[in-house]
Amino acid sequence: MTAPPTITLTVNGRTLECRRVPDDERLLDTLRWRLGLKGTKEGCRTGDCGACTVLVDGESVLSCLALTHTVEGSSLVTVEGIAAEPLGKAVVAAFQAEGAVQCGYCTPGFVVALTGLLKERGPKASREEILAALSGNLCRCTGYSPIIRATERLLEKHR
Amino acid sequence: MPFSLSTPKDPAEAFRLLVAGRPGETALLAGGTALLRDLDEGQNHATHLISLRKLPWNRHAWKGEALEIGSTEPLRTLENDPLVRARLPGLHQAIEAVGSVALRHRATLGGNLGRASPASDLIPVLLALEALVNLRSPRGQRVVDIEQFIISSRQTAREPDELIESVSIPRALPSAYVWQRVRPSNDISQVGVAVALGPPPGRWRVALGGVSPRPVRLPEAEEALVSRRPSEAEVELAAQAAARHAPFVTDRRATEGYRRRLVTTLVRRAVRSTAEHRARRAGPKGGR
Repeated sequence: MTAPPTITLTVNGRTLECRRVPDDERLLDTLRWRLGLKGTKEGCRTGDCGACTVLVDGESVLSCLALTHTVEGSSLVTVEGIAAEPLGKAVVAAFQAEGAVQCGYCTPGFVVALTGLLKERGPKASREEILAALSGNLCRCTGYSPIIRATERLLEKHR
Repeated sequence: MPFSLSTPKDPAEAFRLLVAGRPGETALLAGGTALLRDLDEGQNHATHLISLRKLPWNRHAWKGEALEIGSTEPLRTLENDPLVRARLPGLHQAIEAVGSVALRHRATLGGNLGRASPASDLIPVLLALEALVNLRSPRGQRVVDIEQFIISSRQTAREPDELIESVSIPRALPSAYVWQRVRPSNDISQVGVAVALGPPPGRWRVALGGVSPRPVRLPEAEEALVSRRPSEAEVELAAQAAARHAPFVTDRRATEGYRRRLVTTLVRRAVRSTAEHRARRAGPKGGR
């Protein structure tokens, strides 16, 4: 017995049916190639870089290491839908204000991971918690300073 | 290699699939964070996966000071339980050492244990805390000491028809897990040291990861520590014993010699952190 080929997902608030999903399809590929949501990036495909981070039922998850069938019925938020969340909108604004984007490839992962942490811990998350949560996201332009400044700016607003 | 996936809704269905599958062709999926990587990298050649994610094992429960951790409970859920941090600081530190937050939302203790990597950050602390592994099969249940459960690199005492249902940690203990890596986050530890204190008072347990072929307890280091607040001399003896007796080897992460130097520092840090934790919990009247 294999998994049922049609699965239901809610992506950025829209409920979708995906048909004939192979058992070994990764969530990353479903989002990018099946649904055309190319904001979610493929960096390493080994869980090291965080570029493919999406929210699954509100929690940050590496979509390269999740089989699509294992998130059946879940509610997903990708970078395309992140600004529809109040916290996501605040994160995007902070990144813009601090110029925390260089080539931009890692940005969706950072924005989604940070939004996930703020949802999980509340906007008063400690600096240590935030740095720990972002440690799973790599920026090969090494633009970490403005990313951390954007995060601190966001925290100050909530103090 | 393409693979198929089954998602049993209850243990009975999982066992039917497990018994019907051929060993080597079937793999168990819990969080999947290590398995999917292993499949991509050709470290695992399974063509059929059995997902354990719908089984009712994604929970943890305290019974007094004992903790039972369901095998598919995500590590992040354990990390977010304030009692885990307060009562089992070593376990909390080891969980924080695994991957990233997004990885820990999926990764599980059962998955880490079943994979039995010699570089696991979780197995050393389970050894120090003398955890028990609860296995289930169509034949019934059995409990295996973590020491006997881990056999060698990627080899455990789990029989082909058995599943890890949960892990029990018998008691809350002052404990610590410290490690060294090339990069502090999202990397694999070159050496990890787990320490736990008691019972009885003054009895120490020391376990190491980053050794070959599996994480081990280190009785020579444990015997050097004889008091709840060990003196500098005791700690030094334990650190030197660890450096002398640990089964380190040279691999791509570090040389054997570097590991022997590293372990002395890590043992000192872990023992001091544990003694301080105990003193804080015991309060000003804690005594020696």
